[in-house]
Amino acid sequence: MKLLTKMMHLQEQHGVVTDSMLRDLSKSEGVPLHRLEGLRGFYPVFRRTPGSKTHVQVCRDIVCLMKGGPQFCRKVKSALTGKPGVEIEEVSCVGRCDTAPAATINEVPVTGSVENIVAYATGKKPLPAHVPTTTPRRWPTDPYTNDKEHYGVLKKFLKPGDDRQRDEVIKILKAADLRGLGGAAFPTGMKWEFTRQAPGTPKYVICNADESEPGTFKDRVILEELPHLLIEAMILGGWMIGAEEGIVYIRHEYAKEKQALQAAIEKARGAGALGKKIFGSEVDFDLQIFVSPGGYIMGEETALLEALEDKRGEPRNKPPFPTNHGLWGKPTLMNNVETFSAIPIILDRGASWWAAQGKGNYKGLKYMCVSGDVAKPGVYCVPWGTTVDELLTLCGGIPEAKGLHAFSPGGASTNFLPASKRQTALDFKAMQEAGSSLGTGAMVFMAEGRDVLELAISEVKFFRNESCGKCVPCRVGSHKAVDLVEAALAGKPAPRLVHLLEDLNATLAQTSICGLGQVAMAPLMSVISYFPDDVLPKLEGSGRRK
Amino acid sequence: MADDNRKLINLTIDGKPVQVPEGTSIWDAARRLGIDIPVLCHSPRMRPVGVCRMCVVDIGQRTMAASCVRPCEEGMKVEASSAKVDQHRKMLTSLLLSDYPEYSAREMSTSNDQLLALAKKYAIQDIPFADGATGMPRGTDMSSPVIAVDHQACILCDKCIRGCDELQHNDVITRTGKGYTARIAFDLNNPMGESTCVACGECMAVCPTGALTNKSVFAEMQVR
Repeated sequence: MKLLTKMMHLQEQHGVVTDSMLRDLSKSEGVPLHRLEGLRGFYPVFRRTPGSKTHVQVCRDIVCLMKGGPQFCRKVKSALTGKPGVEIEEVSCVGRCDTAPAATINEVPVTGSVENIVAYATGKKPLPAHVPTTTPRRWPTDPYTNDKEHYGVLKKFLKPGDDRQRDEVIKILKAADLRGLGGAAFPTGMKWEFTRQAPGTPKYVICNADESEPGTFKDRVILEELPHLLIEAMILGGWMIGAEEGIVYIRHEYAKEKQALQAAIEKARGAGALGKKIFGSEVDFDLQIFVSPGGYIMGEETALLEALEDKRGEPRNKPPFPTNHGLWGKPTLMNNVETFSAIPIILDRGASWWAAQGKGNYKGLKYMCVSGDVAKPGVYCVPWGTTVDELLTLCGGIPEAKGLHAFSPGGASTNFLPASKRQTALDFKAMQEAGSSLGTGAMVFMAEGRDVLELAISEVKFFRNESCGKCVPCRVGSHKAVDLVEAALAGKPAPRLVHLLEDLNATLAQTSICGLGQVAMAPLMSVISYFPDDVLPKLEGSGRRK
Repeated sequence: MADDNRKLINLTIDGKPVQVPEGTSIWDAARRLGIDIPVLCHSPRMRPVGVCRMCVVDIGQRTMAASCVRPCEEGMKVEASSAKVDQHRKMLTSLLLSDYPEYSAREMSTSNDQLLALAKKYAIQDIPFADGATGMPRGTDMSSPVIAVDHQACILCDKCIRGCDELQHNDVITRTGKGYTARIAFDLNNPMGESTCVACGECMAVCPTGALTNKSVFAEMQVR
């Protein structure tokens, strides 16, 4: 954290991290030059040469592609050509898919038409305020009706007889069947138990607030509107495993959300919920925020750990897993924002209350990020087991009375499904049985007339762009996969293209180190399987499969 | 290894039983049985990193395991030489070859280019991927008096980096960039000859391809 923090500070102060700055840093910190170069070259926040006064970043990923069209960035570029002091860059998803097409100007999120973005960039229009909301909404996973009640669950559990209380918490989390809501669906109770049992000190609690997968922005809303739940769960996590230090790893693009979280942390300290002898108990725990120097791959838990250790954020080979061998090789409890923030209400009201919030046999509540062709995009907290169709209705249906053609239920890594699967329940297992997965809960609706191949390729390009480059299948394979499809679309398909893509996908899925490489081609393969009539004529220049 | 107190683990590799101390990698266990698992990024002298993925084996799980980094587990049934495993190794070789330069200085001088050896082993002829080497877009670095750097032949196996930073403690080489544009770099991405490199030669000794070779050999090759 130390080196990257220093480097980010230099970047912020000077707009650049030059060789001479790194030579000085190398001397003062006693680290070799190559290590600093490895970091500067890897993280997108660092620049070798100073940039322009105004830095416009335009999102190129699926939802912005749908809303702005494939030429959106080019149009912004040409409208800004010749404007002094402005530079434009195409970037990966900035987590504002609900207001697509999204861009940022000097890190302030903006949205709207090309003209609108140009007006902001040239100073004709003042940039919108980028500060946390002062009127957070009431969300059904918040057990508290006002600030004074905050940390009530923590008070209840931090009592003498701790070990029995700890056993009780594990029991409740298991009974509630809470799973990793960052997409991996690992049972949370088990993770807490493993980390509690793991030998070694010190231990750490980390919140993965680096959601960056196209279509995903639910944690953004939780961080801004419910930060006290996240903080409370992390303190409980610290108490559970015996950690005194917690870190929230937040994506670079979430500046106002970081501000909201920081304010909540300070408030918690003031209230005695963080710091030494929490609420008069023997428990010490404090939290710090680490802002990511950028890159989707840091959402992969071991890449995140590498970044915290001041290394290039390249995923580790697993096993060992972070529960036993996490930050600095020590046991580390790491959960996603949504997972942590569900815990206070589960402990407050009990596992059976949580279960009863779901529909039928499904348990609990789920935050869904809804975007694409839908009347009211945004974050919705719905009963687990709500169907895709019900979610679509809740979000106002598809505009212009169009029909649903396809949907991607869980982020860029999940298979597209046809509209015929719209009765599928929002649930890890149900979605898997339907041929996809719930992933991060990033639901992108695609109306009739959408080119699913174009959209699926944009997802593969996202993974190619965000590949860390550590292992061969992902680094080279994701690049070649995009090449193959682009050649086909240019009228030059490779022989036996679909077979070749299937073989390449198998190698990426089977041999890549981490989830990014394993799923890089999944959306493409899913449109080949589920939308052959749409896709095969474009890929092979004929309607016949294989 | 025999005098330590580690627990002994029993497993089978390609149906052959083997007993190894806990913590032994599958790759090392296979060597005891005389099973040679192909690898580009590993050598017994080095800390394994599992990046080339050529050593993947089937252990009956959701994904394959890189045998150089995966410790043996009790009761494991490892398929190290099945058709499925070979299919992936062949694909990985093809991917690397698609960006490989037409000539490898290592192959032309000492005939021990390990990527080209795999190409032969798997009888790879037609590579179905776009040629990434045309015009050698990644370039060369001839600034060192001793060592020739051909970035186009670099497969980012990390061996030179470990050789330089961990075996010799010269601390010069890193990876810079990210994804497909990642490459090896010296100090602050300086030309090798202007870096703190002392030309010890470890990097070219451990390099499995034509990326780091003796400069005189490379020059001769360019003439041909």
